[in-house]
Amino acid sequence: MPDFGDLETRFSRRALLEAGVGIAAILTLCRSAAVHAAVTEAHGSTEWRFFSASEARTVDAIVAQIIPTDKTPGAREMGVARFIDHGLTGFLAPLAVAFRAGLADFEAQYHSRNPQGQEFASLPPARQIEWLQQVDHTPFFESLQQLTVLGALSMPKYGGNRDGLGWQLIGFTDQHAFAPPFGYYDRDYPGFSVPEPVR
Amino acid sequence: MTGRHYEDSSPVDFVVVGSGAAGGVIARELAIGGFSTVVLEQGPRLTPANFEHDELKYWFLSGITNNPARSPQTFRADPSTTAVPTGMRPPLVYARTVGGSSTHFTANYWRFHEIDFVERSRLGSIAGTGFEDWPITYAELEPYYTKVDWDIGVSGLAGASPFDPPRSRPYPMPPLPVKSSGVLLERGARKLGLHPFPAPMAINSQPYRGRPGCVHCGFCHGFACEVQAKAATLFNMIPEAEATGNCEIRPNSYVVRIDTNARGRATGVAYLDTQGREHFQKARAVVVSANGAETPRLLLASASSQFPDGLANSSGLVGKYLMFNYSSRVSAAFEHELNEFKSVQVTRILHDFYDSDPKRGFYGGGGLDARIGPQPAFWAQRLSSEGPSWGAAFKERLREFPRSMQVACHGTSLPVAANSVSLDPTLKDAWGRPALRVTYKDHPDDLANARFLQDRGVEIMEAAGAQRVIRAAIRAQSFSVHLLGTCRMGNDPRTSVVDRYHRTHDIRNLFVCDGSSLVTSGRGQPTMTIQALAFRAADHIGRFARAGDI
Repeated sequence: MPDFGDLETRFSRRALLEAGVGIAAILTLCRSAAVHAAVTEAHGSTEWRFFSASEARTVDAIVAQIIPTDKTPGAREMGVARFIDHGLTGFLAPLAVAFRAGLADFEAQYHSRNPQGQEFASLPPARQIEWLQQVDHTPFFESLQQLTVLGALSMPKYGGNRDGLGWQLIGFTDQHAFAPPFGYYDRDYPGFSVPEPVR
Repeated sequence: MTGRHYEDSSPVDFVVVGSGAAGGVIARELAIGGFSTVVLEQGPRLTPANFEHDELKYWFLSGITNNPARSPQTFRADPSTTAVPTGMRPPLVYARTVGGSSTHFTANYWRFHEIDFVERSRLGSIAGTGFEDWPITYAELEPYYTKVDWDIGVSGLAGASPFDPPRSRPYPMPPLPVKSSGVLLERGARKLGLHPFPAPMAINSQPYRGRPGCVHCGFCHGFACEVQAKAATLFNMIPEAEATGNCEIRPNSYVVRIDTNARGRATGVAYLDTQGREHFQKARAVVVSANGAETPRLLLASASSQFPDGLANSSGLVGKYLMFNYSSRVSAAFEHELNEFKSVQVTRILHDFYDSDPKRGFYGGGGLDARIGPQPAFWAQRLSSEGPSWGAAFKERLREFPRSMQVACHGTSLPVAANSVSLDPTLKDAWGRPALRVTYKDHPDDLANARFLQDRGVEIMEAAGAQRVIRAAIRAQSFSVHLLGTCRMGNDPRTSVVDRYHRTHDIRNLFVCDGSSLVTSGRGQPTMTIQALAFRAADHIGRFARAGDI
């Protein structure tokens, strides 16, 4: 199994996007039987598999700022933290060490600037946002952003996108067959007219 | 499955390495011709029941594609440097399953134009490249393009594009129903005096040859079709080959070597089963259709004392001239819903900028199409690189999904000898075989052309009334699913690997036909042409076999 090495090179959004297949690249290595194990009972369990309770609170707080809850559900209601938690013991396992280190680093930085302060998760949203704006170019945040997107929009069986809330947000319909018209602009399409030859 | 079984030890007429777009066609044609044929496929055989709309699995966990955990690759842009392992980022991606990449392709099926085959004669040479005419013309390939239309099954409208090359028959099926992205591309392009037309697609617009019409589920690109409306060889060529009683498809068979005898003839191929045990399939002739990455890798890995540089490599060109097709991209958002996640990727394209024009100051041309772009998760990931990536503003952007579309601008890649597939000197795959080493750097003209086509895409989207138009950054390519040019065709054994009939110049009973055969890149969408070449190659190979000339 490949070594994930340092977070910076292996886990950065830019590197992943350059691959042309998003995070694909990074996650490809380990389509193990663990995937199957990880997806079973994705919604059934209330226990964290990978995170400590405190890690879970921090991750949940961060992802809840990446896709915030407003008049509609956000990453918190979509179960993104649970997707990541389950993933890190299964299909994301190769990232586990780097992820935990990145999270510890995030906490350490936060506490070094806020020595007597509350934990990040219990800050009011405005102050969470303020802090995240200072760290949103770190590889850890960027990779967490990517995992949030994946957690919000992957099939619910992986633990996130609970009840299809992610799909609901973006307006995707999980259905196996559609019929035209598909959208507004093809509704009154008059039909294709063959143009005159140009040469 | 349903085909017959052949023993390794008794030679069959043909062993075909690879069951994809080309291998599936060749196996079917040879089997219909009465030849005993064994197809060795490194991946498993899947059925529609195995396929799902699972983005995480298909796009992010190598669900059906080559998995870098077991099949690692190395990459470098500069051939004077040491290629580095790409870890989770394989530069060359293909579907590793019976049916090959035809299983997960988008199914854009436009023909190459007449100019593609004679461009060097028309435009002259291009310094630092292996820009060449093909040894065959469009006219020679036309009957086989028509065979692809009718035997594989293509939906389209003949005569709809004023730029289309001549065709001897119309399409067997009408075009698929237009989507909003297609209407908008058409609207914008016509305002600009351009000539958009219904996209030819290898997807059934109605029931055809035992397969149903498309149900518009939207999961073509990167996914396998659950209803078999998309024309993977898994659903047409493979079962038809088996039905002859002359063909065995042997999945999970990873070919690692082609052996030759003292007379310099191929005797068969060595392959590994799922347990890693080596077998040897004897054959009168070997056809390699393993794709533009694995085909040269196999020839190079088959080096022996007799052929120290690899098989069929007297020219030194096996693995060289790798071409990708540069594809730039424009994203656009409109006022109303398009719901691009429904139905096939592409319903309208245009070829107004297909030909290279010396006045532009660079070589290149292309085709533009209107499409979904990827499905939700991948789409949202790309979105993060185009603006705010978190918070309320990001959430607003996510809500734009149904109102979004893309223009994909498919362009040329020049053949540059340094761009190549070779054997990594140190890295091994999970079976202990030398890993694929990829060397690739876009020719400056490829990038200039990508920008030119992207500008045209922007103009079209603006003319169509887009609320927002975003150019995707044009960066050096280090990734592709179009694997072209690495065993090029030609008449001169010094400057090509296979002749005009796909016979290797060096070994009479060794044939190569797949994306590696292409001399120039075309403008994207190579599978249609790969299959036309495969039908033509099979015709000639069968003729040689009947004449005892293999």
